[in-house]
Amino acid sequence: MMSTPLIHIVDDDDSLRTAVLRLLSASGYEARGYASTGDFLLHANLEGPGCLLLDLNLPGPSGLELQEELLRRGVTLPVVFLTGRAGVPESVRAMKSGAEDFLTKPVERQTLLEALDRALARDASQRAARDGAERLLARFRRLTPRERDVFERIVIGRLNKQIADELGIAERTVKLQRAQLMEKLGVGSAAELGRFAERLKSLSP
Amino acid sequence: MRKLLGLILLCAFPSVSIAADEQKSVLVLYSYSRLMPAVFEADQGLREGLPDVEAKRVGLYEEFFDEPRFGGEAYSDLMVQLLRGKYGSRPPDVIVAGGFEALRFLLTHRERLFPGVPVVHEGIMVASVPSLPSLPSDVIGNLVDPDVPRTLALALRLHPRATRLVVVTGKSPGHDREWEQSLRADVASVRGRVAVEFLSGLPHEQVLGRLAALGNEAVVFTPGYLMDGDGRAFNPLEALRGMLSASTAPIYVPYDTMLGSGVVGGYTRTFRTAGRETGRLADALLKGADPATLRVPPPEPATLYLDWREIRRWGINDRLIPDDAIVQYRRPSLWDAYREQLIIGGLALLLQALLILWLLTERFRRRRAERTAEKQRFELAHASRRAVAGELTAAIAHEINQPLGAILSNAEAAELMLDSGADRRVELREILADIRRDDLRAGEVIRRLRTLLAGREGEQKSFDVNELVLDAVAIVRSEAARRGVALEARTAAVPVSTVGDRIQLQQVLINLILNAADAVVGCPEAQRLVTLSVTASVPGGMTTLTVRDRGQGIPEANLSRIFDSFFTTKGHGMGLGLSIARTLVEAHGGRIHAANHPDGGALFSVELRQT
Repeated sequence: MMSTPLIHIVDDDDSLRTAVLRLLSASGYEARGYASTGDFLLHANLEGPGCLLLDLNLPGPSGLELQEELLRRGVTLPVVFLTGRAGVPESVRAMKSGAEDFLTKPVERQTLLEALDRALARDASQRAARDGAERLLARFRRLTPRERDVFERIVIGRLNKQIADELGIAERTVKLQRAQLMEKLGVGSAAELGRFAERLKSLSP
Repeated sequence: MRKLLGLILLCAFPSVSIAADEQKSVLVLYSYSRLMPAVFEADQGLREGLPDVEAKRVGLYEEFFDEPRFGGEAYSDLMVQLLRGKYGSRPPDVIVAGGFEALRFLLTHRERLFPGVPVVHEGIMVASVPSLPSLPSDVIGNLVDPDVPRTLALALRLHPRATRLVVVTGKSPGHDREWEQSLRADVASVRGRVAVEFLSGLPHEQVLGRLAALGNEAVVFTPGYLMDGDGRAFNPLEALRGMLSASTAPIYVPYDTMLGSGVVGGYTRTFRTAGRETGRLADALLKGADPATLRVPPPEPATLYLDWREIRRWGINDRLIPDDAIVQYRRPSLWDAYREQLIIGGLALLLQALLILWLLTERFRRRRAERTAEKQRFELAHASRRAVAGELTAAIAHEINQPLGAILSNAEAAELMLDSGADRRVELREILADIRRDDLRAGEVIRRLRTLLAGREGEQKSFDVNELVLDAVAIVRSEAARRGVALEARTAAVPVSTVGDRIQLQQVLINLILNAADAVVGCPEAQRLVTLSVTASVPGGMTTLTVRDRGQGIPEANLSRIFDSFFTTKGHGMGLGLSIARTLVEAHGGRIHAANHPDGGALFSVELRQT
């Protein structure tokens, strides 16, 4: 069951943070505020769906430093920067680090929500892709070692007879295992099997 | 009265001469009046040719027929009587006949009066010879050839547009008729090129009237006249003056005595020259020369005289003037007149001009250098002002955008709440309170910035850094005391001057002092001390001004960012103070930095340029 995405707001300005929280809440979003990067790292649920609305100028570690730290930890939450003083160097650095958007205060609701929606959509698609890949791998793991051998040879175009010769088993056995692995992987035809192999290949490092 | 007496005496005594008996003498008979300019000139020349007259070795006697005012047989007889009476007992050794009438008289009466006395004539025109009896061998002299054709040819050359030649002569039987006769022969040379017209024997007024109507397509030639058509006597120059004032055409003449009166000129031999030649002949005869064999030297050739003023007046192209012409009344050009002075003056002017040019160039260079320097100074000032402006803009943007962002979001949240229709009055009240607070906060930011910088252009005045420190301490002392913090100032022993805006630097210092005071507020009393010191390095170097507290010091991680505009560690701080302080100090060409003192506490140093 997928939980509601959460917007994390990190800004040291209490007044601004409160105002933005109010606005997001009134617009129907789930949002939580943090006064500093440390507060965020300690208390936020980094695994759940959502995105980050980050002030660039924070006391202690800055917004950019937080963004880099999250990348290091493998946290994929998309980041939207919100700053009172948009310098070109900072914005370039932020966008290079994969920021979803770069907004300046004061920001209008529509602009803010559009940027946040884009960030949430990206988060959702990232999660979906990650989920799909995991399902693929789970199915693949159900194959026996022998079935994997057969699978590998099928996808590079070997015929049943050739596979039987290479593995030193009967051609009938190859046919049987082929039917079994196709059922385990949930594919109905040789073409589907080929596509499955392609997707799997793209996941493996 | 005396003349009358003389005449009576003359009649009474046969010999009236009272001159020395042995002295030789020359008798000159002039045809004309004693007052005629030509007579003056000729007489002058004659005396030059006869130096013995002036040396009183030779007597010179002159008689005047005063033709044409007097004339006729009776007059001639009277003259004979006069001459016989005056000179009969002591006849002259040589007689000079000046003019036609005089010569004719002598040729007629010489044998009766002064038989055998040789005669030298002058002023007899070639054209008149035929009307005289043939000349005996002891009557010698140069005939006058006035060379009128050359003058006429010249006149027509100088006036290429002339279509008429007008010749004016008079009515006197001698001079005037003689000239008319001669001129009628001379004009043959130009007939065919121009229409020739003689105004001969007309009344004076009529002559003037005709001349006035000529216009500039005519050229006039006249020897003047002795008698006009009405029989009135003139001397030729008199007649000419009238003509000159009336004529609308240029006038050419044969006599040198007429030059300068307003005529253009002409070829002429001067009366004086002729007189001199005559004098020499008379001299030779006095010294015993035989008139029959005496070689008469040829007359000096006629000379062309022109009047420069008339050349100008009639617009004559001066390149047409013959090279041998004597141009009179030419106003010497300044160059001719003051050649030397002009050269010296010119050189002086040139030197002066060069000097001025050099000075101007120097001035220009200096100006340019000054402008360049000024421009550089301006650019420098502008650059630092821009730096201040940039820094301020960033600071203001940050500090103002925070509350503005909050206000906007709060307002939009409130709108959404109202749209939802639910009764969220409590929340809306909170939102409005927040909006009001943020608005005040934004206003406060601006007020503080203005207090610090408004209206200050950045003066450039010299002042003593020691005084700056003492002033700042005096201003802050009571505030520091309120917080229980002591201030200590250690100024330099000598005045240390710097140039800049004293008030801006004072603000920097006050800011640092207050920060330092804040840092020690919670500390034990021994630590609640802020020390300021002024240290001057070598003259012309930097002056270091330090503010030290004895508080917790600055975390190492913050040292590098402490002057950033948005950096603050204070709960209520604006983060603007140190950023502005750095901007102001750097605008003064100085530096500011923060460190931790080895003995604890923070140490802020401001370095300023010494002047």
